[in-house]
Amino acid sequence: MELLDFDIVILGTGIAGMTAAIHATEASKGRLRIALVSKLHAMRSHSVCAEGGISGVLYTENSDDSFQLHAYDTIKGSDYLADQDAVELLVRNAPHEIRFFEHLGVPWDRNDKARISQRPFGGMSIPRTAFAADKTGFFMMRALYDTVTGYENVQLFNECMATSLFTEKGRFLGIFSIDLGTGKSILFKAKACIIATGGFARVFSVTTTSYATTGDGIALAYRAGLPLKDMEFIQFHPTTLIPSGILITEAARGEGGYLLNSQGKRFMEAYAKSKMELAPRDIISRAIISEIDAGRGFKHDKSGLDYVELDLRHLKGRIDEKLPMIRDICTKMLNLDPVNEPIPVRPAAHFTMGGIHTSIDGKIMAGPSSSETEGLWAIGECGSVSVHGANRLGSNSLSQCAVWGRIAGRDAAKYALDAKSKGSDGLMDRAIGEEERIGRLLGNRGSEDPYELMHEMQNTLERSFYVYRRMGEMARAAKKLAAIRARYKDVYVTDKKHIYNTNLRDVIEIGNMLDLAVAVAECASRRKETRGAHAVVEYPEREDKSWLKHTIIQMHGEKQVVSYIPVNITKWQPQKRVY
Amino acid sequence: MRTTTLMLPLYVGMIGTPILLVLRLFAILYSPLLAYPLTVLAAIGFIAFGAAGFVEVFVHDYPKSMRLRIARSKGPAAAERKEANSVRITFRLRRFDEGKKQLVEEAYVHNVDELTTVLGALVDIKEKHDNTLSMRYSCRMGICGSCGMVVNGKPSLACETNVLEHARKGDIVVEPMQGHPLLKDLATDFDDFFEKHMSVQPRLYRIDAKEQYAAKKEYHQTREEVDRFLPYSYCIMCGLCEDACPVVNTNPNFKGPQALAQEYRYYADSRDQLGKKRLLDADRLDGVWGCEFAGACSKVCPKGVDPAAAIQLLKTELMSNTTAEEREPARHST
Repeated sequence: MELLDFDIVILGTGIAGMTAAIHATEASKGRLRIALVSKLHAMRSHSVCAEGGISGVLYTENSDDSFQLHAYDTIKGSDYLADQDAVELLVRNAPHEIRFFEHLGVPWDRNDKARISQRPFGGMSIPRTAFAADKTGFFMMRALYDTVTGYENVQLFNECMATSLFTEKGRFLGIFSIDLGTGKSILFKAKACIIATGGFARVFSVTTTSYATTGDGIALAYRAGLPLKDMEFIQFHPTTLIPSGILITEAARGEGGYLLNSQGKRFMEAYAKSKMELAPRDIISRAIISEIDAGRGFKHDKSGLDYVELDLRHLKGRIDEKLPMIRDICTKMLNLDPVNEPIPVRPAAHFTMGGIHTSIDGKIMAGPSSSETEGLWAIGECGSVSVHGANRLGSNSLSQCAVWGRIAGRDAAKYALDAKSKGSDGLMDRAIGEEERIGRLLGNRGSEDPYELMHEMQNTLERSFYVYRRMGEMARAAKKLAAIRARYKDVYVTDKKHIYNTNLRDVIEIGNMLDLAVAVAECASRRKETRGAHAVVEYPEREDKSWLKHTIIQMHGEKQVVSYIPVNITKWQPQKRVY
Repeated sequence: MRTTTLMLPLYVGMIGTPILLVLRLFAILYSPLLAYPLTVLAAIGFIAFGAAGFVEVFVHDYPKSMRLRIARSKGPAAAERKEANSVRITFRLRRFDEGKKQLVEEAYVHNVDELTTVLGALVDIKEKHDNTLSMRYSCRMGICGSCGMVVNGKPSLACETNVLEHARKGDIVVEPMQGHPLLKDLATDFDDFFEKHMSVQPRLYRIDAKEQYAAKKEYHQTREEVDRFLPYSYCIMCGLCEDACPVVNTNPNFKGPQALAQEYRYYADSRDQLGKKRLLDADRLDGVWGCEFAGACSKVCPKGVDPAAAIQLLKTELMSNTTAEEREPARHST
């Protein structure tokens, strides 16, 4: 085992993680040694898949837009579950961050006055989403990767899989990981750790996200006894390609695309008359499923999936200018040109609003309402500061990554500079224990096929925790998921070699996903109301009296304990949510 | 796409010049009478090549879709498509055995449908037939750049390659990219590739570093200025161009199309302030002058980046914007 000593270790190289590395470097004037650890090649993290854009109020003169309006839209979009102080922090800082990325080289789309253009997005009252064609995340990632690799104090660990997080009485000690290229173990010892490993939408069988979005960092924190928040809220993106679930950006509707049912009608009129196709995602996803349930959908022959159509034909030339990737994807994947034909779409798992329970500054909390941990941050999709509440608005996630990337990077640097070197007794012993566990997993000749377990888990979630949920079904599914998770103990790894063993990596990821799937089921099967992405058939209304609260789930030994904490409401009292 | 007005003369010149030279040779050696009809023919050829270049460049976004539709109406895949949803395909995987240090071909018979991509099939094969199979993949939508491999001899992104479009008589051959060192099975080692990318200092250099990190106002940049570097900024670092480049495969020190295209991308960005230094950095035998303009890089690029054009543009900029004195020391320092 190799022991590496750093000041800060950052897990994950998406937009949040790399932004944090830059700001930690800037805040410490390059004095801190930072390890940037990715289980992929750094520039290939799932953030590259972000398409539509990043939200932020860029220009206030001659515009009706304001921070207040952006905050209100976000809070209303969240179905009032967002923490309002965090939302205000987001909207105030987002504009600097867009300009910061411009300074790093992102080719933002410009208008005639050489200003950054902004496009309309779902749930936003005004066009405030900056974009670079429909590859916004990709361009931001390339700018970050190119910048961060220029720093001498930042060391990049490509294809290095973290498997365990070590803490001592709420203080961060180290990270155990496996270098996938060689199969060797690396123990990272550092003063501070920023977890930025993204979401876990891969727990569903159809998802817009990359194969890599298995929520590893969240699972690491969960197993280390740290609290997770709002795990039941999983966003279903309304327009994903049949049958693969590849994302068709909301910008397609922002640029003017229509949603049509099998009668050729723009059915959103019946669900969100004022916003139509630009209502928030939870509302559109529910509308699509309602249309399909009422027999007004289409059926896909090959996969048997039901769908509705996304019609872009009337956009003509704008497709090439503003949505080139969408046209490319449709032609390559379905041999269908959106200029001539409507795109078959259905809702699929997209974003996980829940994640590691953090303070407003992205610091991981030690318990439901108790104090903060020491030296631990969780940012981006894997952390739940809660700016998205029960439903995220499109383009708010990139601003979240950028804003908390800066905050956590800066704070972690400050902490690491001030921190006195405290002992890390027992770290080595625990790392050796973890190395032995991985060794046993690799040597395991059990009877359970890991991929079969994964598909069973994915199908269970897809069936019972999709757009509309039912209480009885959720309770049954929770039991089933717990049983699948129990079978994981007897899983086998076929590939016994060390060099680039993706079989072992898959088995570790599947273990992580199973832990999170069980947490989702536990939290969802308790919430008796319909709020944002959590729509329960038996309880079709939002119940603010009993359920205006965050769910917290924590592992105590083998037991999972669910508790609740209040939502932080500042200026915007919950109202009926009509669009 | 929009810088094509710049590139068009390049294409035309590249094809047209040798033809004209041959014609003049004819005119000198034989009678002008014989040369005359040849000149007419050459002119037609000139226009045709120009038009081809035009299509290649202006319809750059969709060459794949055009190819797809052609294959559907004519190719053997079309016949198989009509028969059934599920077609048996033999995947001949040339896997790198890291112990024996050689490629070993293994065949897997797997059912696919008309939408199955090579990546989709490989993941299935890994899950159902052989858990030990390794390859690199993530986004499965052509943007993360992980799954570059060689499919039926052509460097391709596995996630964007349709199995039935590429199968020949029910067979498809998949092997790792060999322009890079091999790691395991279909995965290649990217360390050299990343190092070359880093060597061109691929980032904006500014004198106002303070403003860069505490951005108050965006840098002024017009649409036209964006268009100058935008086509070269689509690089997803998949490595396919390096794999296809004949020079990279014979001279490992050559910076290669990916890195040089990125050098041009940052040089052409009006926000960058490194200016001439970038040009002089490229002024080496292992830099732009190593390029033999085979154009394979641009042919295989899945994102239409056209590194070949970027390298020629660097040469042009170098010759017109630097003096001989400036260039000399840079060249000797190689």
